[in-house]
Amino acid sequence: MSYVDVNGKQIEVDEDGFICDPDLWNEEIVRCFARLEGVDELTDDHWKVIHYLRGYYRQFGIAPMIRKLCKETGFNLQRIYELFPSGPAKGACKLAGLPKPTGCV
Amino acid sequence: MKSPMRLAKAEDVRAIGLAPAAEEERKPRLLAKLKELRGSMRSLAVMLDTCVKCGNCVRQCHSYLGTGDPLNAPPARADLMRKLYRRHFTLAGRLLGRITGAEDFDAQTLDAWLTYFYQCNECRRCAVFCPLGVDTAEVTIAGRHLLSELGMVPRFMQQVALNLQKTGNNMGIPKPALLDSVEFLQCEMLEETGLAVKIPVDQAGSEILYIPSSADFFTNVDTIIGVAKMFHALGASWTISSAVLEAANFGLLFNDSAMRAHNRRMRQAAEELGAELVLQGECGHGWRAARLCTEAASGPVRFRLMHVLDYTARNLGRLALRRLSMRVALHDPCNYARAGDLIDEPRRILRACVEELVELAPNREETFCCGGGSGILMDEMMEIRLKLGKKKAEQIQAAGRIDYLAAGCSICKAQLPHVAAHYGMPDLAIGGVMDLVGKAMDMNRSTGGV
Repeated sequence: MSYVDVNGKQIEVDEDGFICDPDLWNEEIVRCFARLEGVDELTDDHWKVIHYLRGYYRQFGIAPMIRKLCKETGFNLQRIYELFPSGPAKGACKLAGLPKPTGCV
Repeated sequence: MKSPMRLAKAEDVRAIGLAPAAEEERKPRLLAKLKELRGSMRSLAVMLDTCVKCGNCVRQCHSYLGTGDPLNAPPARADLMRKLYRRHFTLAGRLLGRITGAEDFDAQTLDAWLTYFYQCNECRRCAVFCPLGVDTAEVTIAGRHLLSELGMVPRFMQQVALNLQKTGNNMGIPKPALLDSVEFLQCEMLEETGLAVKIPVDQAGSEILYIPSSADFFTNVDTIIGVAKMFHALGASWTISSAVLEAANFGLLFNDSAMRAHNRRMRQAAEELGAELVLQGECGHGWRAARLCTEAASGPVRFRLMHVLDYTARNLGRLALRRLSMRVALHDPCNYARAGDLIDEPRRILRACVEELVELAPNREETFCCGGGSGILMDEMMEIRLKLGKKKAEQIQAAGRIDYLAAGCSICKAQLPHVAAHYGMPDLAIGGVMDLVGKAMDMNRSTGGV
């Protein structure tokens, strides 16, 4: 396992850089992960996606369907990729502190 | 060359019911398991005994052509197991050793197996061009199974197997999340068509149990939408099962016991729901496992087993389809074309759904793999995956301008966008066959509906 330093605190991440314990997630971690994911500035649009994913994950224990994410946030897939260059499953889920979606994706 | 592929840790391997071997235990266990397989998997002994090194398959293997690595040529790959087999299980090999190609287990054996059995997509194209019918995929399947019996499992496969154990699907979708997704999709279809198109879940007494790919509930929603619209138009009695929301069977790709366990999930769900017909969704290797292994894994079953593309092709006359103004190329997934008997069906469906169907060359049973086949979808393998996808990319480029690439398999759907983007086709639309059925259907004119 490796660790990411978030303002002096060591946060454990898996080999793909996803947080190991989703309960440790907080906004400081988002800011730190954002730099690692190539997101220079976190705008209101970023936070809208992150908070939606976070809320869905807390309710259902998994990421929502991509189409639902787009519909509920009002952003099309192209806009999601502009916000999170590595995409909704890798970039956005990582910043929102979800486990990495796996399977045929 | 050591593979960049990550392996699961010992405790994670134990969590999916496999037992890691200590270093000194590896050789004896590998040989004992190989001996067992030699008795139970007749095809393996035939493949190991038969090759005459004519070289016909070498120029036909996309893995060798894409990576340029001589150890990815099919005879070299099979030799990784063959030399050990000769050394221990043939008289000539035991007596004469190296001059018969026999070699013993050494410090490099397992690294080489992990590297090269996970750079073979199990596509079986080599077998089509082999004058003796040697199928290297059989050796790769056995090699990966033996590695798993030593506790050497790719982390990606272990995560999928753990999700399967917990939820019955690769993505780990729990039932409440599935119900939420189904409700969302039903609203989407109502908005689009004005009709209450349903996706029934766990409905006992349904005639048809439909087994989708779990990726249909994450990235490939148009595939399940197409299927739901078709069933609606036909007035079919159908359901999905929250216990087996997965047409894929990754057990085929890394461990035989896991393959059997997932196959039995299908049988159990079908029997509990009382389904007469089980329809498998858009997944290549899953169809191969269901079609070829059900009887061995689950014994005689009471239901009929069919693929959704076959079912759709048989019912085309009852669906009101308007041809979409598109130029569509068809990618034949390896497991449909070389193991699944699904060659004409997708073509008949697409001809009814789009104005122009383009054939890639070569195609049908000579199709090239997308490069992700057999579950080589790990992020850390991306550089190799792109090399494995090179031949497919060349084929797509040669087809000229196309509006859509139809690939009726979730692994292909996950792999091909990376291949397309890397080889200069970032805007190519890629999706399933049933997606286009859904888009081409005139829901208000289809007959037989409820």
